Amino acid sequence: MIATLLKLNWLNLKRDPVALALSFIMPLVFFTIFAAIFGGGGDGDGGMNPIRVLVVAEKNDAFAQKFVDTLAKQPSLTLTRFEDLEKVPEVEPDTAAGAQVRAGHFDAALILPTPLDQSVGNFGQGGPGAVLIYDAANPVARFALSGLVQANVMQAAPDIMLNRGMGMFAEQGAPLTPQQQGLVDEARDFLNSDDGEGGGAAGTELLPLEERDARAEGEGDEAAPKSIVAYYAAGIGIMFLLFSMTAAGGSLLEEEESGTLDRLLSSQLSIHQLMLGKWLFFSISGTLQLTVMFVYGALVFSVPLFTVKTMSAFVLMTVVAAMGAAAFGMFLATISKSRAQLSGISTVVILIMSAVGGSMVPRFVMPPAMATAGKFTFNGWAIDGYLKIFWRADPNHSLGQALLHIAPEMGVIGLMAVLLLALAMQTAKRRQAA
Amino acid sequence: MTSDSAVVLEIREAHKSYGTRAALNGAAFSLRKGEWLALLGPNGAGKTTLVRTIAGRLQLDRGEIALHGQTLSPQDQAARRQLGIVPQELALYPNLTARENLDIFGRFHGVGGQELKDKINWALDWIALADRANERIKGFSGGMKRRLNIAAAVLHQPSVIMLDEPTVGVDPQSRERIWQMLNQLRAEGASLVLTTHQLDEAQTICDRIVIIDGGRTIAAGTLEELITQTIGPQRGVFCKVRDAQGAVEEEHHAVDDLSEALPSLLSTLKTQNKQLLDLRIQAPTLQAVFLHLTGKELRE
Repeated sequence: MIATLLKLNWLNLKRDPVALALSFIMPLVFFTIFAAIFGGGGDGDGGMNPIRVLVVAEKNDAFAQKFVDTLAKQPSLTLTRFEDLEKVPEVEPDTAAGAQVRAGHFDAALILPTPLDQSVGNFGQGGPGAVLIYDAANPVARFALSGLVQANVMQAAPDIMLNRGMGMFAEQGAPLTPQQQGLVDEARDFLNSDDGEGGGAAGTELLPLEERDARAEGEGDEAAPKSIVAYYAAGIGIMFLLFSMTAAGGSLLEEEESGTLDRLLSSQLSIHQLMLGKWLFFSISGTLQLTVMFVYGALVFSVPLFTVKTMSAFVLMTVVAAMGAAAFGMFLATISKSRAQLSGISTVVILIMSAVGGSMVPRFVMPPAMATAGKFTFNGWAIDGYLKIFWRADPNHSLGQALLHIAPEMGVIGLMAVLLLALAMQTAKRRQAA
Repeated sequence: MTSDSAVVLEIREAHKSYGTRAALNGAAFSLRKGEWLALLGPNGAGKTTLVRTIAGRLQLDRGEIALHGQTLSPQDQAARRQLGIVPQELALYPNLTARENLDIFGRFHGVGGQELKDKINWALDWIALADRANERIKGFSGGMKRRLNIAAAVLHQPSVIMLDEPTVGVDPQSRERIWQMLNQLRAEGASLVLTTHQLDEAQTICDRIVIIDGGRTIAAGTLEELITQTIGPQRGVFCKVRDAQGAVEEEHHAVDDLSEALPSLLSTLKTQNKQLLDLRIQAPTLQAVFLHLTGKELRE
């Protein structure tokens, strides 16, 4: 009996290409995607996206320039000097650097004090510290840059560090006087204490670093959000929107299988009316689905939804995204011959798009090629649009500018919606009189 | 209905092929006003293709379909306003109530407003589901769904109704009810085309019969005409007898006139010293005509 059951299940599996693909090919595809994201495709250096850093340093400070040159040799960093920006902002470099990070043009910014050599190796006793402006959405960039800056001090300024050490030795001499012993004890106590993190503990660093959240820079009347929940609301929301829209599109196949479609199309209803009606309904339900997701995010996780600018951009983006997802679901439904086939195809396509497009792993941690591939997915564009609304919005933007800010994403998704709907309508024609 | 009633639906030289396989190969028939026509054929004969073509769901390669004298083009659903198609499938929405299903399909057929409300109430009474009107139909019996399936196709009061196996899978009581409903429509002037494998029902109910096979019409006429054209009007007389040795067998005799043939048949049995155990007389049936025309080979 068991042998017969094994045979029965094997026959069913091997004659179902979609089930076979889901069983044996999809795991390999996903393994490859995640290996490429986190393993860099086996090229040994981890393959992480280089951290894009904007550096503000005084041009006439030779040591600062040497420091930047040395830092630029780090393979995991891509440095851009402030003066090399295509369009150098007219505002103060500090403010401009924060805006650049906030807008997502850079993962972090490093503002070096002048003269820099007065600030290194003094354990907080010398000149002012450097400022590291980070994007809280990308904690990897923040901590990696912080560490690399400290390491760079030793590489860029071994002479300064030696001079500092010798100077200290000359000043204090040997053997240790009670004063020296007191200093050593004090330093030891300090180093042994737990008070050693964040910008406030600059004294433990070779170059004191004040770390600032880019989103706290230049805030207007909007409160700074405390988390990047909006990213995950968009990522998860878009993925499930695609799943639910595909399932909804399957109603066409359900009606075909039950004979209802034949009956509908034997009435005064045309296939184009049927498709448009379904698309409209799915767009409305998709809009509500995303709205529920973000309102929940706003109420429970403080996603900053309830301002005029954010709400306006959100409504526009959500309507367009829902229209695109509805068209996507209907297109997949029209090219499928059965609901089982639709289920298999949609699972494969949506999971891959979600993985590559950033619904599962943020695109900024992906290798460059993978991050670029995300631009060819529905998820990638939709998530970018929501990121612009909730994370990268410029507080100084007017309502019109805020909407214009997301115009590229809305345009691309809108175009996808039109194309997919047109393809779906064309494909559905075969269900009309043949 | 009389033989000179107006033709309401006419199929002329219908041809339709799928690749090299001809599903319709010159099929033709006409339906007169108030007539009840049975469209019969073995599996794969082209019945469903023909019905789907008439419904506008398939496009003929060659040939014509005329409804009330107007030639129909494939996607011209407005011209098909006078058609009611009852599909073999239970093409209804299971999560909707009976009333909601009727409302939806009535609207798609162009009925609305008070007229639709009146037609829905009429239909619910007609199919004996007025007391279940507001229940979701997924809990309905097969017979109830079948009746609703028919009602959804006639809310717009079509003059020509095509029914594809309307009684398949229902119990005798529901079947009887469905025939009563359809007779009521015919009494009100509708013309009906019925495709079915229930030959006994087709024989009893329909005025005329069209048999198609291989995509073409191979016979058409009243039952009597078909019998005359094919197996002839002879009755079959089946005599179960026991002979002098005690062996029991059944003898079959074909006779033209029972009043003349039976006395001599009984006399012959007596002469042969055979005891008559049972006597069965069978009139020519549509089943016999059908098998005579289409053969006994399985069609798959």
